[in-house]
Amino acid sequence: MTDRSEKKLNLSITNPTVFEAVKMIIALLIAFVIMFGVLCLISDNPVHAFVTILTGPFAKRRYFGAVIESFIPYAFAGLAAGILFKSGAFNLGAEGIYIISGVAVAAVACTAVTTSHFLHPILCILAAAAVGGVLMIIPSFLKAKFGTNEMVVSLMLNSIYSGIAMHLIRKYLLTKTTSTIGSRDYLKTAKIGYIFEPLRISPCLVLLIVCTIILYLVMYKTRLGYQIRLAGANPKFAEYSGISAFKLSIATAAIAGILAGTGSACQLLTQSSFYQPDKTAVGIGFSGMLLAMLGRNNPIGIVIASFLIKYLEQGANVLYFSDTSVPSEITAIIEGIVILLISSQYFLRGLREKKLLQEGLGKNAR
Amino acid sequence: MAETILKLDKVTKVYPNGTVANRDINMEFEKGEIHSIVGENGAGKSTLMKMIFGIEAPSSGTITYKGQETHFASSMDAIKAGIGMVHQHFMLIPSFSIVDNIILGDEPKNGIFIDRKEAIRKTQEVSDKYNFELDVTAKVSTLSVAKRQKVEILKTLYREAELIILDEPTSVLTPQETEQLFVQLRSLQAQGHTILFISHKLEEVKKISDRISVIRNGVSKGTYRNDELTMEQLTNLIIGRDLENDLDEFKTNEDFHNEKALIVENLSMERNGKPALNNVSFAVKKGEILGIAGVEGNGQVDLVRCITGLEKIKYDGKIIINNTDTTGMNIKARRDLKMAYIPEDRMGDGTAGKLPISDNIISTYYTRDDVNSGMFMDSKAIDKISDDLIKTFAVKTSSNKTAVGSLSGGNIQKVVVAREYNTKPTFMIAEQPTHGIDIGSAEFVHHKLIEMRNAGAGILLVSADLNEVIDLSDRVIVMFDGEIAGYFPDANDINESNLGMYMLGAKKQTAEEIGGALND
Amino acid sequence: MLGNIFSSLFKLSFLLTVLRMATPILFASIAAFVTASAGVANIAVESIMTFGALAGILGSYATGNVWAGVAIGLVVGAGTALLIAFFSMRLGADPILIGIALNTFADSLSIFFLYLATGEKGTSASLLTPTLGSVDIPGIKSIPVLGEILSGQYILTYVCWFLLIVLFIMIYKTPLGMRMRACGLNADAAKTAGINVGRIRVFSLVLSGLFAALGGMYLSLNSIHLFSKGMVSGLGWMGIAANGIANGSYGMLLLSALLFAVFRGISIVFSQSAVFPVDLVRAVPYFAVFFFLTISSIISYLRIKSGKVEEQ
Repeated sequence: MTDRSEKKLNLSITNPTVFEAVKMIIALLIAFVIMFGVLCLISDNPVHAFVTILTGPFAKRRYFGAVIESFIPYAFAGLAAGILFKSGAFNLGAEGIYIISGVAVAAVACTAVTTSHFLHPILCILAAAAVGGVLMIIPSFLKAKFGTNEMVVSLMLNSIYSGIAMHLIRKYLLTKTTSTIGSRDYLKTAKIGYIFEPLRISPCLVLLIVCTIILYLVMYKTRLGYQIRLAGANPKFAEYSGISAFKLSIATAAIAGILAGTGSACQLLTQSSFYQPDKTAVGIGFSGMLLAMLGRNNPIGIVIASFLIKYLEQGANVLYFSDTSVPSEITAIIEGIVILLISSQYFLRGLREKKLLQEGLGKNAR
Repeated sequence: MAETILKLDKVTKVYPNGTVANRDINMEFEKGEIHSIVGENGAGKSTLMKMIFGIEAPSSGTITYKGQETHFASSMDAIKAGIGMVHQHFMLIPSFSIVDNIILGDEPKNGIFIDRKEAIRKTQEVSDKYNFELDVTAKVSTLSVAKRQKVEILKTLYREAELIILDEPTSVLTPQETEQLFVQLRSLQAQGHTILFISHKLEEVKKISDRISVIRNGVSKGTYRNDELTMEQLTNLIIGRDLENDLDEFKTNEDFHNEKALIVENLSMERNGKPALNNVSFAVKKGEILGIAGVEGNGQVDLVRCITGLEKIKYDGKIIINNTDTTGMNIKARRDLKMAYIPEDRMGDGTAGKLPISDNIISTYYTRDDVNSGMFMDSKAIDKISDDLIKTFAVKTSSNKTAVGSLSGGNIQKVVVAREYNTKPTFMIAEQPTHGIDIGSAEFVHHKLIEMRNAGAGILLVSADLNEVIDLSDRVIVMFDGEIAGYFPDANDINESNLGMYMLGAKKQTAEEIGGALND
Repeated sequence: MLGNIFSSLFKLSFLLTVLRMATPILFASIAAFVTASAGVANIAVESIMTFGALAGILGSYATGNVWAGVAIGLVVGAGTALLIAFFSMRLGADPILIGIALNTFADSLSIFFLYLATGEKGTSASLLTPTLGSVDIPGIKSIPVLGEILSGQYILTYVCWFLLIVLFIMIYKTPLGMRMRACGLNADAAKTAGINVGRIRVFSLVLSGLFAALGGMYLSLNSIHLFSKGMVSGLGWMGIAANGIANGSYGMLLLSALLFAVFRGISIVFSQSAVFPVDLVRAVPYFAVFFFLTISSIISYLRIKSGKVEEQ
């Protein structure tokens, strides 16, 4: 009905945005309650444990700095997964991209391509982004062209890339000093320094913020983003509207790959001084998928989610110093519960429906 | 006084999204009668049947079957109680045999295994008892539409249904097949079954029913004996006013110099190893509506997919849109030739239900200058266009940010038509453009199509609704089995039952006569 | 040297290796197949295998009885499947997303419980648990070749073979199986025939969870009797790939699973020599899955394009 309420800001639960926000908050509350319950079971001092997880990172400046530094690669992985999920693609290849583009980073970082402290990291990032952008396309290409199951393909490629990365490092970059498989130390010029050391703010954070803003604009303000959202909401409709599913999925995968490669470079050049393919960047790509779900595939949401999750993990790490009965993996419980609840369409739907039902009955009683 | 088998008392159904499908419906059905429920598309007949059959639960009110108040939790309970339903869209598994389809859910057992021998024996027995003439071991995928419907009816009889609901059973049948169905229904009635016949086709209802109940806008308009109602009275009850006048009076006939919006030449295509289209040739002129009649599944869908460029299978022949040969072109390139397309499946192909109207209403011209400003899309312009179209097409919504999926069928269709209209096409394909929407919206869509025709667009109308094809079209072709079986140069001269003969494949014109479809 | 390696591929011992490699993939394959035939996708096979593997170990440690451990592993498998069913069918979450989330959590969650039980985050080596072991079948054992194949296998291998047969009979010969297939082929038709589609699908998910849990326990409760982080290493996904290639055919399902097992065997034989780069050899099974899955999709793409088969 077109009526006067048109201009009024709708803060009732019938507004989908408000409803999503309410859902998120309630899901978080439930998750915290359950986490507290688990802590009661496993810890002698659950209240202390609970409070430490929530406030631990503030205890020392370097704890908080560690959150700021460590969440960046995860946020990049989240952005990569988010754009893929938003377009309706279940390409789970980010994990492999992090590992294989790490080889590119290590190769450039161990080579004296330049003496510039400014240029060297940029070249590393570009190399990683290029490798990521190209390799991420493979599963999406096969899916778009032949209908191959992209999930299985991308996961198999993850394992294949991992093998290739190990092989390349072993063969070409192996250091003589450690017993594990690791590359030589990066040249000093390749390391990324800090802009503000006490809080460990590095240029990577700036890069992340820039990428997030660009990605947000792309997703919601450009024709490419429109195509992605359309294809994600209903691929048949996108096809009917004349959008080439093929080109779109290649473009989306390339963007995701570039983001993942960039994230991998950030991880390597800030968190390590040499590259171990089975360690340095492992697990980030997979975590990114969870972060994308938590952020509802919205770039800004994903970055916030990444920060919050890393914050909680840091809190759990801090707790571990004083209370070893609680493994830091406890944050996975929060993450899991929130993801399950917010991705459930019908969770809390009753609340909203009651309201709609009342409106529906009133509206039709003409 | 006959025994009442089923009684509805103040039955109301409100869907979770707020749609009121039925309100305070009171009806009584007598044992052994053929009782029709009529109403326009979207009047609430199907929802009512779903409640009787236990698929949906009423929001309030009671349903009494054989004197007992029922609360069916699922159709299983309804089936057990002796109610059977033949759905509008067949509920069959094509890769299963007839037997397997029929015994599904009520399988004869031998230990833990299915007793196939007993299943075949029992199924064949029921089939023979009612003269269905079916080989029950045949695969359903090999059967004609009419035979599949027989399987559906057989399924209810196998479960010893006393009350059989048929939901729009004739919508997929030719007039001749409909006749046969009626013979079958009368024989079922003679054996004591009660038939609930749902339809929006009045002539058929008048022909078959003992009594008729009318639903309009989800509300019951009473039950009448067939012989106490005239056609006009019935019509008035259903739509609350006189039938839509002949649409011809809205047509203007400017001369567009016989220009062709679409030429299809010798189009052939195979699907699943069988010919789906065979040597189809016709043309759509600018300023005309060419209707394609035919029973569903005779190549119309394949034809539309080939013309729009959505078909992935390679076809032979030529498709020329606005004087450009489209060989090798995808749908985008064809749309750039000023082609527009109203798809049959408005939720599957025509919209993204989760996205707002404003996103849906520009999808086929989102690259156009008027919705973009430089690198970015112009959200203000998009809002303006959306609001204008919402107003012009009378879409009932509170804002252009409402998710399309939460609108009613008619309003969704208006969004689709508004979008295609706004591409300003010179060639338009309208596929089942009013299927399943309310009469007001349907009329609106018809008038918009005629408006576009009058302005010089060539329109290809594909519809299973014969009345729609005849009322709207200038010329008509009939498709049967992937071929053009008949061509009628003037839609005003068409005799419905004659058309039926072509739809059924009983008649076929000569190549010369059919040639007119291309050359007239 | 090279000749030696290749000739070892044609020995009985290689066949036995392949059979050993095949069991978990076969479990994963039927886990994927049973839900697919009822029309739901369970892509969480990998994570259920992980949970099953860990629960089997912890359960047998806690009870001191390996069979009690198996029972606990089965309960955990079924429970995870029920969780998926609850969220996807009752709460309307996308089962694919749920599956992705579970698979991603599987590692941290299993480490969480492993740590609670052992205080370690890598393996359960500190827990001394009984194992399932293998069975010699007296009569058959003495038959040359066949005896070595049919006798002396792990108990869970026999369980697997038995289940392959039972599942086939259930799906193709019993009313329940027919209903399951009906739910997969046309859920609306099944529903109107009075079949409770939801219940059938939950049932198929639970079966899938049980099969996957058995596959996981095959890894942890047999000879090595320990759980280690990441031990499932893509076997669940191989099952899903096999189901994808099979496209509804039970025979093709088993063939694909065996094919993948052959490449796992090859990978093991090759990695024992220094001829090939060991890191690449380890990736061979994954490459095989990638390759065959891609080939099979290209074939079906070409068949659809030429108009021979209906698009799925």
